[in-house]
Amino acid sequence: MKMIKFLILTTFLSSGLARAEDYSIRKVSADLSKPPQITADYWQNVPELKVDLLAQMMVKPKPAKVLTESVKVQIVHDGKYMAFRMRWADKEKSEAGKLGEFSDSVALEFPVLDNANPPPIFMGYKDNPVHLFHWRAQYQYDAEHGKKGIKDIYPNLSADMYPNEFVNRGSLRPATEAELETFSHGKAAGNPQSSLKKALDEIMAEGFGSSVVREDIDSAARGEWKDGEWTVVISRALKRPNGSVLEVGKSAAFGIAVWQGGQDEVASRKSITMQWQPFKIEVK
Amino acid sequence: MAKVKNWQIQRDMEYPYTEHRPKRQWSIIFDLNKCIACQTCTIACKTTWTSGKGQEYMFWNNVETKPYGSYPLAWDVRVLETLGQQAWKAKEPYYGKTIFEAANENEVAAHFNPKDEDWMYPNNGEDDCLGNVSHGEHITLPHDKWFYYLPRTCAHCTYPACLAACPRKAIYKREEDGIVLIDQSRCKGYGECVRACPYKKSMYNPHTRVSEKCVGCYPAVEKGYQPMCVQNCIGKIRVMGFVNPPWSIREGNPIDYLIHKKEIALPYYPQLGLEPNIYYIPPIHANRDYLLQMFGPKVDQAVANYKNLKNDPVAQGLMVLIGSTDRIMHSFKVKNGIASGYDEKGDEIVSVPVTEPLFERAPFDKDLKAVRNNTP
Ligand code: SF4
Ligand code: SF4
Ligand code: SF4
Repeated sequence: MKMIKFLILTTFLSSGLARAEDYSIRKVSADLSKPPQITADYWQNVPELKVDLLAQMMVKPKPAKVLTESVKVQIVHDGKYMAFRMRWADKEKSEAGKLGEFSDSVALEFPVLDNANPPPIFMGYKDNPVHLFHWRAQYQYDAEHGKKGIKDIYPNLSADMYPNEFVNRGSLRPATEAELETFSHGKAAGNPQSSLKKALDEIMAEGFGSSVVREDIDSAARGEWKDGEWTVVISRALKRPNGSVLEVGKSAAFGIAVWQGGQDEVASRKSITMQWQPFKIEVK
Repeated sequence: MAKVKNWQIQRDMEYPYTEHRPKRQWSIIFDLNKCIACQTCTIACKTTWTSGKGQEYMFWNNVETKPYGSYPLAWDVRVLETLGQQAWKAKEPYYGKTIFEAANENEVAAHFNPKDEDWMYPNNGEDDCLGNVSHGEHITLPHDKWFYYLPRTCAHCTYPACLAACPRKAIYKREEDGIVLIDQSRCKGYGECVRACPYKKSMYNPHTRVSEKCVGCYPAVEKGYQPMCVQNCIGKIRVMGFVNPPWSIREGNPIDYLIHKKEIALPYYPQLGLEPNIYYIPPIHANRDYLLQMFGPKVDQAVANYKNLKNDPVAQGLMVLIGSTDRIMHSFKVKNGIASGYDEKGDEIVSVPVTEPLFERAPFDKDLKAVRNNTP
């Protein structure tokens, strides 16, 4: 099995970027730093790239079959930011929340060290990181409505009292935020997963299972589910310090992963691009 | 997959990581003949660890009535169903498949994924007896109509499925005591551990969006104290200590003594292949076929050995020590009718008479000029 993996890996590695033609990304006169618009006029004449995905097959647990066979991608830039509009079929909208429920999700991947010679597309490797922009329907809900409280997730739940949740009566004072979260282990441990999200995470990774959420974000995302299809726009700064740096006039490449949360896809259970998708950022 | 040694099933088995045993291994033994399902253990754990938001449904320690009780719903039935029918002949290693060996090529372990409603009835099946008691029935051993209580914590397995399935490697087993922990700062709430743990002792917190599990009360253990669920056990049915594999038994260690020397405590569902480190003294009154499924073919001998304890003053002494101290007993001795427990340094932490002395009180209290009786 190891041998087969190795063969697959070398096949994809050697294929590198030597692929048909670079997708050429035109400049639009719009401010793409703002939370992206799904239906803006500038998308009208942008050519659509059909990117094929396969079920992730490098590490267990793996999805039994590919649930997202392809994503239609359009890309534009404004000189400082670059926006991706992605559409794919997903028969139900899943924002997670309850136990055992996962969120629909998409991630864009970029090389960090060398845009012309990217590392293996499978999450990079040691000392050759990749930069990910990970949107989740769940994170977007956070950005738009605030983080779902336990009463939002389970309205009929009853709990007598949570620790430290007392108000100022006589000698007592209201508990501080930190005191209230003392018994929220993830939160108390400073896990970014437990904090309010801004529609997407920026993540650095050096191989499977190594991802680290960046504290600084210079990107935005918005998604909309309609009639069995997600449309998600992710816009990112071209130049990200200590991360993916893209330059106008030059070529680079991206990868995509999609999760169908409603079908229990999460983490390594995902559909992914098996090859880097090359593009060129045109001056005009 | 690596080949690792699993002494509970007496053979090598497949596991994603190579064999690595910690310096010592956290372990609890429960005497199921004595548990009264008072749930004091459950509440001791709850008030210590899971009173926060998103933990409302969580019971890292739970007590369920067998055969009908289960938390989450039907976890045992569903895991056994996923594993499929397997055979284990008496006096032989288990040649059936473990959950790691029965997994399909995409998965780390054969598993099922509980849904939220499965977690919502922790007391389901409580006190439900197998069958109705009809007129004229009398008690036989084992009982014809039976149930028993099964208290459960995480088993801090030697080969944890939760750890094996985590794609982020956010779960680790501590070198110093074998306690299995989910790194609360690294977990991303993928829930792979919730899916993979056959005992369903890894749980997702929807408030913090990360998974959590029994922490073995490691802060207490580090200080030489037993976990909260053990310290607070009303029935005095549990003892926590450190278990060794059969090839390195430590003389005088109460845990090794009950598991290896007296052979009265058995791991539950050892056929799943995790080498779980909670052990049970099987209930002698319950249906033997059911016990066979839960504890494996050594159960007959364990029940017989347990019944023989009355002839063994040393074992009796240990049974009296259980529940007599909050501290971890690293060794024990029974001499002249006194059972004593010792800490790691060998200092005495507790001494109790194996048989409580009998005091006879005269029926008439001369000082008070009152007749004594036993009516409260
Ligand atoms: S506290 Fe002891 S007796 Fe009571 S339910 Fe728990 S294990 Fe059983
Ligand atoms: S009982 Fe479950 S959660 Fe606990 S160590 Fe074993 S596999 Fe992990
Ligand atoms: S060992 Fe501690 S954390 Fe684990 S179930 Fe018992 S009280 Fe809870």
